[in-house]
Amino acid sequence: MDEFGMGSKNEFSIYGATRNPCEQTPEVGGSKERHQPHRHSPGGSSGGSAAAVASGMCRIALGSDTGGSVRLPAAWCGVVGFKPTYGRVSRHGLAAYGSSLDAIGVMARSVCDVRAAFHVMSVSDPRDMTCMSSKLRRRIESFTGSREWTKHVDWENGATKASKPLDGVRIGIPKEFWVDELSLSALESWKSGAQRLADLGCEIVQVSLPHIPSSLPAYYTLAFAESSSNLARYDGIRYGTRSNQLPAKSNGSNASYKYANTRSEGLGSEVQRRILLGTYVMTASASEQYHVLAQKIRRLIQKDFDSVFALPNVLALDGADPPGPAVADRPKGVDALLFPTATDTAPLLGTLAQNPVTGYVNDIMTVPANLAGIPAVSVPVDIDSTGMPVGLQLAAQFGDDDLLLSIAAHLQSQFV
Amino acid sequence: AKWDDPPNTNVALADAGIPGSLPRLNPECVGIAARAILGLNGKVQKQSSFDRKHYFYSDQPLGFQITQQRSPIGRGGKVSLGHNEGLDYTKDIRIHQLQLEQDTAKSVHDVYPGYVLTDLNRAGVALLEIVSEPDIETPEEAALYVRKMQTLLRHIRVSHCNMEEGSMRCDVNVSVYRNSDHRLSGTRCELKNLNSLKVIRGAVSAEIRRQIETIESGNPVEQETRGFDARQGKTFVIRSKEDAPDYRYMPEPDIPEIHLTDEWIEAARLALPELPEVALARIQEQYGLSKETVETILAEPGCVDLFEDTARGRNAKTVASWITSEVFGQLSYRAQRLQDSMLTSGQLSGLIDALETKSVTSAQAKKLLIAYMNGETQS
Repeated sequence: MDEFGMGSKNEFSIYGATRNPCEQTPEVGGSKERHQPHRHSPGGSSGGSAAAVASGMCRIALGSDTGGSVRLPAAWCGVVGFKPTYGRVSRHGLAAYGSSLDAIGVMARSVCDVRAAFHVMSVSDPRDMTCMSSKLRRRIESFTGSREWTKHVDWENGATKASKPLDGVRIGIPKEFWVDELSLSALESWKSGAQRLADLGCEIVQVSLPHIPSSLPAYYTLAFAESSSNLARYDGIRYGTRSNQLPAKSNGSNASYKYANTRSEGLGSEVQRRILLGTYVMTASASEQYHVLAQKIRRLIQKDFDSVFALPNVLALDGADPPGPAVADRPKGVDALLFPTATDTAPLLGTLAQNPVTGYVNDIMTVPANLAGIPAVSVPVDIDSTGMPVGLQLAAQFGDDDLLLSIAAHLQSQFV
Repeated sequence: AKWDDPPNTNVALADAGIPGSLPRLNPECVGIAARAILGLNGKVQKQSSFDRKHYFYSDQPLGFQITQQRSPIGRGGKVSLGHNEGLDYTKDIRIHQLQLEQDTAKSVHDVYPGYVLTDLNRAGVALLEIVSEPDIETPEEAALYVRKMQTLLRHIRVSHCNMEEGSMRCDVNVSVYRNSDHRLSGTRCELKNLNSLKVIRGAVSAEIRRQIETIESGNPVEQETRGFDARQGKTFVIRSKEDAPDYRYMPEPDIPEIHLTDEWIEAARLALPELPEVALARIQEQYGLSKETVETILAEPGCVDLFEDTARGRNAKTVASWITSEVFGQLSYRAQRLQDSMLTSGQLSGLIDALETKSVTSAQAKKLLIAYMNGETQS
């Protein structure tokens, strides 16, 4: 895992980088391998979990997904990686990174196993005030349950019982995810995935999420700000390592210097970079221009998603009961979105450019779901010409986790 | 948990900032805050939210304090000062806002030289901060305002408001202005760690003097945070403006917004006990007692109920006299509050009846009272 969850390639760990088990190397652990110059990243930050599942060490692994940290490694290691709706799974016990973005996710080789684990974990928890209450869960259930046109979507073991099991389901292809950085393999699998869903009975339409291009800067502004706040507690006083060096000054009123040595020694360079950037965007002079603006963009992105989904966002309904006939009559809007998980397959480790910020562009496909709190899942669909896995991503409306996983199970079954 | 428990014996995971821990809002605190706001004639906000205020300090385990900067739970209200407080004029001190926030840990200096010790017992405990408008114009008004606030908040069971125990703390902002200038044109200095009414009076006086002297000698007043040295009668610098931190406020992501309904607020209002000023007028009128006597009764939480229960069908003056001299004398001797004593109105009633019918002498009655207050329940 990247230190404190901060990284997309599993490079920033004091224990060394994790290998991607999918790469075509002759032996693992043999002496030949140590001289092997080409080592692929498993993705990050939960790359260890993805590698463990992909190599068969375990059946299910957990990760935390703040900006794609479960879905990205899942795609690069060829396994399923699911980020539930924000608030489905309690964050109590998760070392906080971006509190309003963090979600505990599940990885497994099949959607079936992911769903089983998710149902065990998806319970209310009074220790986490942002965890959905039982009341909200029941409301969402009665809401999604009242939806006529998806009632037939058979989940049971993902196998197709009907010839067109997803008949009537509408899938949206958001055009803003067609970015320049998309590799050929990502594009190909995107098209192929859409075709397979169509074969299963889905209606495929193009949709627009106009503020998506602003999601990456908004995400990093908010994530770094929240993480600079959540990591302020690591000062070595109550737990953790403490620097042996004495503080520089002895001025009593300004205590930050007391922690500076400990934090400089104890936090890795990428973590420090993010904390400093996050601190900056919250300063009085910069806050309006960066932090407040990022929050506004976030709200617009949430509204973009609300405008394309058929199911209204239960959070926007403000205490009203689930609408009856309105939801029963097939409204405009899609039931899920389909787009790539990553712009390309797993890169080589050590190819991090001089400017680490260029590595952040990997997250462009994954951060919007964190910003809006909606559920998203990466499904392994293909292998590219170098033999590395390609993942395809499905996302659904806030709270619509079960339908999302049903569609994902069907999609995965098409590629097995 | 008590305020004087041994250090670091009442620590929750979230108060120590253990990774993975999350804060929780105590609903009882919201209720207490609502009582305080309504008792002060303020408006309980139906929607309020929390923010993080960031700064590094040894008494701030998480590196931030959870507070309500943008959207506090209460706005408005007032404390009226006048003849009842010994002033020969009347004045309202308006309240700007009331907010819920977390307490810090306690830093202990001067125990191990060169070290600051941190006691996390009170870290994370909810505080209610009451911010006044700049209506206070003399040191005396400042002290009277605080004292009246204490009486009121004790009466409606918001807090013990005990400055020695730390259940009430007070910071005062002071600025001066020439008559020809605008009232709020002076630079403000904040006086912190004022732990008694006497100290408040002294500190404010000293600071006014200092600021006037500074201006009259041609220098500007610098914006500073200052403390008060009671022995020297002077204020001293704790922190200057250069060291003032940028708090980098951010909405608190772990605590959702508070939404209160009109019904809930109304229920809180109905549950309020009779406010002191109303009770003062009514009891004087209803029982024919002097203002001083009624004030003495009102000043002790729980005493009004004891008095009224006992006075029913009995001579009010006798009952009042027994309470204010004998009962209060015993409480003082035991360093006890009435709310913590064993004495019941039934016992006191019986005692006074027995005196009336001369079945006991005055001396015997006093002995009986002592026995009751020791917890013995003979008849």
